[in-house]
Amino acid sequence: MPDLKPLHLTPRTAPALRSVLDDPALLTQLINGLGSPLNIVLPDLLEANVEAFRESYRRHRLRGRIYFAHKANRSAALLRRLAATEAGADVASLAELQHALGAGFTPDRIMATGPKNREFLWLAARTGVIVNADSPGELTDLADLVAAHGLPRVRVMVRLSGFASQGVQVISRRSRFGVPSRALAEVLDLLEKHREELELVGVAYHLDTIGWPEKAVALEGCLAALEECQARGLPVRSVDIGGGFGVNYLADGAEWERYTSELAQAVLGKREPMTWNGHGYGLRNDAGTLRGVLGLYPAHRPVSGAGYLDQLLGADAPGLRRPLGSLLLDTMYDLDIEPGRALLDQCGLVLTRVLEVRGELVRLDCNARDVSLEEHGVLMDPVLISRESRSDDPAGVYLLGNLCLEADLITRRKVFLPRRPEPGDLLAFVNTAGYFMDFSATQALLQPIGRKVAVYRDGGVWRWCLDEQYWPVHPRAEES
Amino acid sequence: MRFDDMTEAIGNTPLVRIDPAVHGLRNIDLYAKMELLNPFGSLKDRAALAMLRPLLPGATERGDTVVELSSGNTAKALAMLAGMHGLPFKSVTNRMKVPEVKDLLLLLGAEIEELPGQAECLDPTDTEDPLTRMHQALAANGSGYVHTDQYFNENNVEAHLSGTGPEIVKDLDGRAPDYFIACVGTAGSSTGVARALRQHDPDVRVIGLVARKSDFIPGIRTIDEVHEVGLFDPGVYDTVETIGTDEAIDGMLTLIRRCGTPAGPTGGGAYQGAVRHLRELDASLTERRTAVFIVCDRMESYLSYLRERRPELFGRPARNNDHRALSDAEVRDAPTIGVEEARDWPGLVVDLRSPYAYQAKHIAGSINIVDEIFDELLHGGLPFSRTQQVLLVCPVGEKSARYAALLHRMGHPSVRSLAGGIIAWRDAGAELVRA
Repeated sequence: MPDLKPLHLTPRTAPALRSVLDDPALLTQLINGLGSPLNIVLPDLLEANVEAFRESYRRHRLRGRIYFAHKANRSAALLRRLAATEAGADVASLAELQHALGAGFTPDRIMATGPKNREFLWLAARTGVIVNADSPGELTDLADLVAAHGLPRVRVMVRLSGFASQGVQVISRRSRFGVPSRALAEVLDLLEKHREELELVGVAYHLDTIGWPEKAVALEGCLAALEECQARGLPVRSVDIGGGFGVNYLADGAEWERYTSELAQAVLGKREPMTWNGHGYGLRNDAGTLRGVLGLYPAHRPVSGAGYLDQLLGADAPGLRRPLGSLLLDTMYDLDIEPGRALLDQCGLVLTRVLEVRGELVRLDCNARDVSLEEHGVLMDPVLISRESRSDDPAGVYLLGNLCLEADLITRRKVFLPRRPEPGDLLAFVNTAGYFMDFSATQALLQPIGRKVAVYRDGGVWRWCLDEQYWPVHPRAEES
Repeated sequence: MRFDDMTEAIGNTPLVRIDPAVHGLRNIDLYAKMELLNPFGSLKDRAALAMLRPLLPGATERGDTVVELSSGNTAKALAMLAGMHGLPFKSVTNRMKVPEVKDLLLLLGAEIEELPGQAECLDPTDTEDPLTRMHQALAANGSGYVHTDQYFNENNVEAHLSGTGPEIVKDLDGRAPDYFIACVGTAGSSTGVARALRQHDPDVRVIGLVARKSDFIPGIRTIDEVHEVGLFDPGVYDTVETIGTDEAIDGMLTLIRRCGTPAGPTGGGAYQGAVRHLRELDASLTERRTAVFIVCDRMESYLSYLRERRPELFGRPARNNDHRALSDAEVRDAPTIGVEEARDWPGLVVDLRSPYAYQAKHIAGSINIVDEIFDELLHGGLPFSRTQQVLLVCPVGEKSARYAALLHRMGHPSVRSLAGGIIAWRDAGAELVRA
């Protein structure tokens, strides 16, 4: 029977983030001065997120570096604040490398990953960051550059893919990245040939999956690869397991369960639609049977971030039948990780202004690229900030963007707000620093890209500065 | 009873009355259909045979592989049936959650493929999930596969419509029961039996049981998952109720410990769900009624499932010489030596790390006894003489200190732990060798 109560998906908000939302005067002043949308980052929350991962390392007695995957957010403030912690930076483009160097990361704390052009390789080699190579061709290019320009020997890692499992075949999606693990011998031949230019320090994998059994197979495969390197006299010392630790976005698991159950009912036509044009988020009704797969991020994820790392390290290696964390410790390898989303948990929000309210349609002064929750399949309610408190009944609304485009829906689902918004109200999309803030933002239709400010606590109040003005030594109130 | 092959032993399972002293219902006779007595161990033997039989002539001629999406009993039955005809069997699964079932399938010669997990960075343009892609691959002509498709195959229903259902009616002297309680998995048995019973008596009440959404009960789908099943028709059930893991295990224990029925969690869930539903009706009844539920399979495959959820069922006595009984002070005072002193250690060096790590790098002259085996040895007493000097080595000197403390407590006078472990040894630049 249809459940007609409002379907909330309440975001998980840390006390610091909550306290920014509780300061409507500040938020109103910021958006009036800087325009909508406005990206707000909270650099001071990063330290605790790094520490949570480090605590997991300590539990497993492991060493190694926590590299922040820069691609998750372009903010200078976040990067500079991280440079003030023990974290490293994982950069995936020439500009990201420049940004990290400029933010204060010394080359020993930087790892260059992803697809690379010659300029990126040159700057990486020149400054001496670790190059995490994607293919044998990239290693050859890098060795040639080093030889041709008389550069110092470069530390490299090799990204592997296509690990074989024994017994039960654990299938992974085909990846465009990495060297097939069965081709390792050829890569090692290549590295031996270029031993003057390249120094192999370890191997890496990065799997785009939330399933840890696939990662257990890959990590065990990396240990075997490292053993092969050792046997050939290559003094490797670390394994890089990439990112993908995840974030728990929702405060209440029961809301998520109820929402997804009702969505299935809606797709089957057994309750009123919950989405724009009956969109099914990957589910479809096939003669009364539910087909397809829910294409949504599991927004309620009790085991995520450092907890997920714990789970992986506690899991048995499928072949060697000993916990992966123990094997890493036994073999004395460093563990390198590259969390992006998980390190930015709670570190930012996107603030927008309500322009128009027409029945259940609410138009905002931003577009779906500015708050790319839908694009990433993360369903979580925005927080409504009104100037005066009105009591009203909850209202189900669709949030529309500012592009002259049918598809520009900030939510394809009906979002339940505590009351019907009015023009001039603000909506805050919280916990959006990881991937949903500026990853896809464009200037389509010459609409502005949201400006970014950093907020920080000082003398019991929130202070702010433009993102590019932020340094971890921001002036204190008592000094100004 | 003389059969030509094991498939003839499928079906014709007994209908057994549950002792009223156990269930406490005064006006209802409760019967269990003992499907756990099928030769391959479950109710699914019937469906597997019914689905595979028509495909066999073609499959044997072409030498096809039989394939099914199953992480449990259907896979077991199909693997055995395919094996009888010399055909390979492959089970494709989202996640095989019960390790014993995985091992059993490998023992039966099945190949298991686990589908990839959801992408962390979602690609919204990727509308084809791995499952759909697999269906397309199987459906292609000349793929080398026959797919029994249990969630959509009408023969799955038919097996129970012409088998399980009529057997129940026959054993009740030609009458259908007043209530039929069934767990919903593929919906094949509940649909087939319900149809057969209603042919005799349209007033049979059918109660479907599904798992609570956040629960996992092997063989039972959750309220969301049943909608993905082609055979699921909500019209079959007069009511659909949910059952939790705890209830299923309680039911299982009642059947095992009181009813001489070594049932698995699905049977336990069905029993518990039946009694829960019937207890409310029982009080207001003035005439006798009958109810039937199905015991789907046996308990043996679910030991780890139970160990995880009810560890107290497996309570074991404390063992001798357990390092967990050491006090913090004992561990702190464990006799240790540093790397410099260890370089000239005159006695035995025992490396407690995994053999894999030992092969790659170890202290020359050391022997390898991995911690879990060392632990086992110590339960039995001192594994070396008191006159043998022993230096224990582990990664960071933590485990070795515990074992040194324990050996000290056991009366060994000259055991030491390498402070900082083999990592300190390496970091000091001391030599390590390969095996």
